[in-house]
Amino acid sequence: MTIKKAWVGSTAMVALGGLLLLGACNKGSEQSSNSAAEKEAAPAAAATPIDPATVGTVSGTVTMEGMAPKMAKIDMSQDAGCKGTNEAETVVASGGDVANVFVYVKDGLGSRTFDTPKDPVVLDQSGCKYHPHVLGVMTGQTVQIKNDDPTTHNIHPTPKDNREWNESQPPSSPALEKTFAREEIMLPVKCNQHPWMKMYINVVKSPFYAVTDKSGKYEIKGLPPGDYTLAFVQEKLGETDQKITVAPKDSKTVDQVLKPAAD
Amino acid sequence: MPENPIPEQDPITSKSYAVHYSIAMMILVITLFWALWDEAWGQRPWKAFQEHWKDRYTAFLNTARSKSTTSETDVEKDPDYIALKQAYEKVSQDSQTQAADARKAVDEVSARLLAVQSVFTDRRAYVNALTYEEETETSDSAKKSKQDEIKDYKDKKATVEFPDGSKKDFTFPQLEETYNEIRDERTKKSLDLGEVLKPVTAAKAKMDEYLTDHMVDLTPPQIDGLKKKAADWDPKIVQINVADANIVDRCESCHLNAREPLKITAASMMASGEKKPDEYANALTSHPQPELLQIHDPEKFGCSPCHQGNGRATTSLEKAHGNYEHWLWPLFPKENAQAGCQNCHAADMVLASGDVQWQTINDGKDLFRQRGCMGCHRYEGYDKEPEDLNSVGQQIKQIETQKKDNVKQNAYLMKQADAAESNDEANKLNTKAVDLRVANSRLDGRLQQLDFQSHSLMQDQKKVGPNLKDIRLKLNKNWIPVWLKKPSDFRPTTKMPNFRLTDHQIQAISAYIWQSAFTDDLPKHKPGNAAHGKELFETRGCLACHSIGEGDQLQGGVFAANLTRVGEKANYDYLVRWVHNARQRTRPYCPYEKKDIGPEDYAKKGLPYQFDLEHSRCPNDGHELQVQNMTVMPSLRLAPEDAEDIATYLMTQKKQEPTSYADAAFMDDPNLKEEGKKWVRHYGCSGCHEISGFEDEGRIGTELTFEGSKPIERLDFALFTTTAERGGENAEPITDKEDLARLPDGPAKEPWYDHKGFFEHKLAEPNVYDKGKVKGELEASRMPNLHLTKEQVLDLTTFLMGSEETSVPASYQYKPGDTRHDIQEGWWVIKKYNCMGCHQFIPGQQTILMGLKQYQDIQEQLPPKLLTEGARVDPEWLRKFLSNPALNNTDTNRNGVRPYLKVRMPTFSFSDNELRKLVRFFQALQQQPLPYIPEEVPTLTAKETDMARSLFSSTAAPCLKCHATGDPNHDKIATAPNFLLAKERLKPDWVERWITDPQAVSPGTSMPSGLFKQGQSGTYVFSGPVPATFNGYEGDHRKLLTDYIFQLTPEEQHRVASSGPKAAVQLPSDRKHAALESHPTASGGSR
Repeated sequence: MTIKKAWVGSTAMVALGGLLLLGACNKGSEQSSNSAAEKEAAPAAAATPIDPATVGTVSGTVTMEGMAPKMAKIDMSQDAGCKGTNEAETVVASGGDVANVFVYVKDGLGSRTFDTPKDPVVLDQSGCKYHPHVLGVMTGQTVQIKNDDPTTHNIHPTPKDNREWNESQPPSSPALEKTFAREEIMLPVKCNQHPWMKMYINVVKSPFYAVTDKSGKYEIKGLPPGDYTLAFVQEKLGETDQKITVAPKDSKTVDQVLKPAAD
Repeated sequence: MPENPIPEQDPITSKSYAVHYSIAMMILVITLFWALWDEAWGQRPWKAFQEHWKDRYTAFLNTARSKSTTSETDVEKDPDYIALKQAYEKVSQDSQTQAADARKAVDEVSARLLAVQSVFTDRRAYVNALTYEEETETSDSAKKSKQDEIKDYKDKKATVEFPDGSKKDFTFPQLEETYNEIRDERTKKSLDLGEVLKPVTAAKAKMDEYLTDHMVDLTPPQIDGLKKKAADWDPKIVQINVADANIVDRCESCHLNAREPLKITAASMMASGEKKPDEYANALTSHPQPELLQIHDPEKFGCSPCHQGNGRATTSLEKAHGNYEHWLWPLFPKENAQAGCQNCHAADMVLASGDVQWQTINDGKDLFRQRGCMGCHRYEGYDKEPEDLNSVGQQIKQIETQKKDNVKQNAYLMKQADAAESNDEANKLNTKAVDLRVANSRLDGRLQQLDFQSHSLMQDQKKVGPNLKDIRLKLNKNWIPVWLKKPSDFRPTTKMPNFRLTDHQIQAISAYIWQSAFTDDLPKHKPGNAAHGKELFETRGCLACHSIGEGDQLQGGVFAANLTRVGEKANYDYLVRWVHNARQRTRPYCPYEKKDIGPEDYAKKGLPYQFDLEHSRCPNDGHELQVQNMTVMPSLRLAPEDAEDIATYLMTQKKQEPTSYADAAFMDDPNLKEEGKKWVRHYGCSGCHEISGFEDEGRIGTELTFEGSKPIERLDFALFTTTAERGGENAEPITDKEDLARLPDGPAKEPWYDHKGFFEHKLAEPNVYDKGKVKGELEASRMPNLHLTKEQVLDLTTFLMGSEETSVPASYQYKPGDTRHDIQEGWWVIKKYNCMGCHQFIPGQQTILMGLKQYQDIQEQLPPKLLTEGARVDPEWLRKFLSNPALNNTDTNRNGVRPYLKVRMPTFSFSDNELRKLVRFFQALQQQPLPYIPEEVPTLTAKETDMARSLFSSTAAPCLKCHATGDPNHDKIATAPNFLLAKERLKPDWVERWITDPQAVSPGTSMPSGLFKQGQSGTYVFSGPVPATFNGYEGDHRKLLTDYIFQLTPEEQHRVASSGPKAAVQLPSDRKHAALESHPTASGGSR
C-alpha cells in the first residue's frame, strides 16, 4: 500500500510540476523593456574642443604643370547690358599660379562640429560674370546673391546632393538669400540667359577652407593640431589630395602642383 | 481465522500492478496535459505572437510617448503656433458676446418652435388620419361627411402655450403657417450663429492643422488609445472577411502591426536583450509600403490576393503561408512580392503609384516584351496586334455577309410591298425595306472604320528582330554563321538568344535565310564624314535606345542594339537607308496573297511602283499591304548626307575587319536550303523575324498567361524532381559557370521544388531539364538561352509567378472603364517606342539621356520633361505634333517646337490608333476632359497691349532673350520655344501656372521662377521693376502677359524683337558704385 501511495503521489507531483512549468514558460517573456533603444541612443564620444592657444595656420601656393591653356574669349554681344571682361574663367592661371582653386580640410576633423557663421557670404553678378567665380560656404550659411547689372539674370544651381532651384533676378531687385543644407564640392551655378556665366559653390561643414587668389595663394587659419587630408579642387583639373600634419602653433606651408587633365 | 492457507501464488496478494497502473496513469495524465496544451497553444501558434505583441508593442509605445510629448510641446512653443493660438483666442474673445447673443436667439426660437411643433404635429396626424378615412370611404355621402368632419376639425382652435407663458389659439391652417414661419426663423438664426462663429472655427482649424502638420509622431491621446487597446487585448483570431470575394484572411492574427500608422521595424519589436530580431519581431513590423494599403483598403482586398498563402489556416506557419504540398498559391517570397501585382494588374504595362515605380514587376513585363518572349509564347495582351487584325478581318467578313443578306431581304420586302393587298400593309413593308437600307449604310460606315482599324493594326505590328528578307542587302554574308553560333559572344547585350545550334544546323539555317532573301538592288552611296557622323550619333538622341562601347565603357540605352561592332556585319548602303528611314521596306508584303509584291505586280496594273502609308493597297487585289519594316525604330528626319555621315561613322565601329570572316560558301548550296527551312520552323525563328515563307507561322512555345498557377506536377523538373524536393548538397543541377551566375540566390541548397525554383532554373539555363535525358535532335528543349543577368531572372520569375488564374473575382482585376483605361492603354505605346529613354513621365524617373556624360553640363539640351503634358498642350495640336514633329511638311530636318535642341524628336509614323491612344493618355494623366474646349482668351485693349508689350520686352522680363523668334541669328542662342506656337499649342491656364513657377512644372528647366509674386488682393504682380505704364494698374500681371502671348502675331513679335529690350531701369547709384569698386574693369550700369 505504501508503495502504491508513493507512486500515485509522485505521479501527481510530476504532473503538477509540469503544469507549473507550463505556466512559468508562458510568463517567462513578459518582462521586457526597451533598453535596447536606450543603449543605442548613447551619445558619441565628445569631440575635443579646440584650444585657441595651440591652433596653427596652413598656407601655400597652387601652381600647375605645363602651360596654362589660353583663356577662351567669350562673346557677350547678345546682351547689350553685359560689359564685362570677355574671357572665360575655366582655368585662371598667371605664370603657373592657379587662381580659383578650392582648398579645404577634407578629412581629419573627426566628429567635431562647427557653428554656422551668422554673416552671409556674398555672390555678386556684375559685368555678366559671377564674383567670385569659386565660393566657399558652410552648410546652412546664408549666401547673399546680388545683381549689379542693368540686365536680368537667373541663378540656377544644378546640385547633386542639394535641392535644385532657378530664380529670376531683375536689375536692382533685392538680394536673394539662399542656404545649402548638405555638403557638396564644386556645385555648379549658371545663368540660363548668359550661357557663359558659370560659377561654383562649395558647401562644407567646417570653416577650414579657402579659395586661391590671383597669385595662387591661400591661407587656412585656426586649425587645431592634428593629421589632415587637404583637398585642392579645380573645376577642370579635378581634385588632388595631400596629407598634412599640423603641430601646435604651427605655421605650415603646403604648396600643390596640379596636373593638367588627361584630355 | 480460516485455515485456508494462502496460496503461494495468489495474484491478489503477491502481485502488485501498481507499476502498470502508475505508468498508465502517467501516460494518461501526460496525454491530458498535452491535449490541453495542444488545444490552447499547439494548434494556436498565433497566441504566442499575440502575447509577444502585447509586451513589445506596449514597450514600444512607452518610448514613443516621450518622443511625442516633447514634440508637441516643441510645436506649441513655436512662434508661428503661438501667433495662431493668439489669433484664435482673440477672435473667440471678440465674438464672444455676439456669439452668446446669437446662440440665445437660436435657443429662444428653438423653444418656441418646440411649443408649436408638439401641438401641430399632433393635429396634423389627426388630419392625416381623417383624410385617409375619407379616401377609403366608398360611398359619396360618407366621403362628404368625412370632408365636413375634416373641415370642422381644421377650424377648431387649439391652444399653444409659448415658453414665455403666453397662450394663443390657432386654427389648423394658422398653426401650420406659424410653424413654418418659426422654422424658417430658426434656420436663419442658426445661419447667423454660424456666420458669427466662422472666424473662430477657421482660426481653430488653422491652429489644429498647424499642430498636426508639425507633429512628427502621434499625439499623446492617440498613443494612450493604442496602449489601452494593447492592454485590453484578449487573444483572438483577427480576420478580414470579404464574403463576395471569398476572401478570409487571418494573417493579422500574427501580423498585428501590419496596418499600424507608425513605421514599426523589426528592430523596434525586438525583445530586450536580444541581438537579432526573432520570428516574432519580424512578424510584428508594419507594412513596408503603407501607401499601397491606402489604395488597396485591406478591408476590401485582404492580404492573400496580393501576397497569397492560405489566409484561413492558423495552425502553423507553413500552413498559413501556404508553403506545403497541394496548396496552389504559396506565399510569394519577399523578393518576388511584386508578383502579387500581376494578379490584378496584368493589363498594365507600367505600375507606378505617385513617384514610386514598382521596378521588379515593371522590368519583368518590359523584359518579356523587349526580349521577344511573346514571339514563342502567347501571353494575353502582349503583341496582340496580329490577333486584333484577325478579329477585325472576321468582323469585316461578318458584316459583308450581313450586308448581302440585307440587300436580298430589302428586294424581297419591296416586291412584297408592291403586291400587298392594302396600302397599310404596303407602307409597313416599305418602312421595313427603308430600315434595311439605312442599316446597310450604317454597316458601310462600320466597315470603313474597320478598314481604318486594319490599316492601323497593320502599321502597329512590330517584330522584335530585324527583317531577314533583307539580309542579302544588309549583312556581311560570312558573318551570319558566326553570329548564329553564339550571338552573345559577338554582342554581349543582344536580345538574340543562344539556340545551342550545331554547326550543321547553323549552315542549313544560314543557307535558307540567305537564299530566301530579297536580291533587289540598293542605291549606292558615297562615303560620308565619320567625324560629323559621330557628332550626330551622340547628339541626335540615338543613344536613348542604342548603346555603344562594351562592359564599363557601355554608354546609352539597352532598348535597341549595341553598335560597337556594327561595322563588321553591316553593308554600308543598306545602313544609310536604315539610318535615314528604318521603316523603308524593300518590297511590300500582301498578307492576303501571302507574297511579297514587286514592281512587276504594279507594272501589270499600270501603276507606279510606289508603296507607303498613303499607298498601302495591293495592286493585285486591293488588300492592305505591309508597307513598312516592322521595326519600332523611327525616322529622325535626317538630311540624306547626315544619314551617310552617321552610317560612315558606324561602319568604323569594329574590332576586326569584315573581310576576316571565313568564307561561308555553303550558304549558296540549294540542298541545304530545304533542311534549313525545317530548322527555321523548328526553332520558331519567325516569332521575332520576318522570314520568307514563314509569315503566317504560329508560336512554338506554350502559352504563359497563367503559367504561375500551373499545378507543380505539370512543370517538368525531369530527373531533378527528387533533388529539387530534397535540397541539400547536390541540389543544384546547373554546372555551367555563366549560367550559375544567373541564379538570383546562387546555387540551390534548400529544396527548390516550387514555381520560383522551376522558373529561375529554366531562365538561367533553359535546357537544364534535358540533363541526363536521352533525347533526339528534335526532342531537346528548344528554349534558347537569353543570357539574362541575376536581376533579370528575378524580374522575369516574379512576372511569371504572378501570371496566374486566381480565385480573386473578376471585379478585382484592374480594368477601369473611365479615363484610367486611357492611361493603361497609353503606357503600352509609351513603352513600345521607349519614350522614357528621352522623356520624364514620372517625377524622379531617370531617362537614358539624363545619365549620359555629354548632358551633365548642358541639361537644358535634354528633351523636355512631360510631367504635365496633358495640361500643357491642346490635344488636337498634340496629335498633329506627334504625327509630324517637324510641324512642317517640307522643312523636316528640324524640331518643330524646340529647334534649338540638337536631340531630335523623331517621326514614329504612329498609326491613327496609336495617336489616339497617346493623346488620350496625356490628357487622362492630367485629368483633362476630352474633347478639349479652348478657354476664351480676351482681346486686349490698345492700352493693355501697350502695357503687356512693355513688360514682355522689359529688361526685367527679357522673354525674347531666350525664346526663339524665327530669326536664325537670334535662334542660334535661343533656349526656349517660339511664342507664336503658343496660341495653337498651349492651354492658357497652364501658361499662367508655368510663368508663375516653372520649376514646379518642370524641375530644372532653364526658365526661372520668381517672375511674379502674389499681391495682397490675390492677383499676381511682376516681381521686378514694372514699366511706367503700369502705374495704377490693378489687374493681374500674369494674366495680362498670358493674354498678350496668346494674341501675339508674327509682325508684333518682329517689331518687339527688333526694338530690343529697353533698359528702362536705372541702377541705384550706391550699388553701381560698389560694383565699380570691386571690379574696376566692369562698367556695369551704363547703357
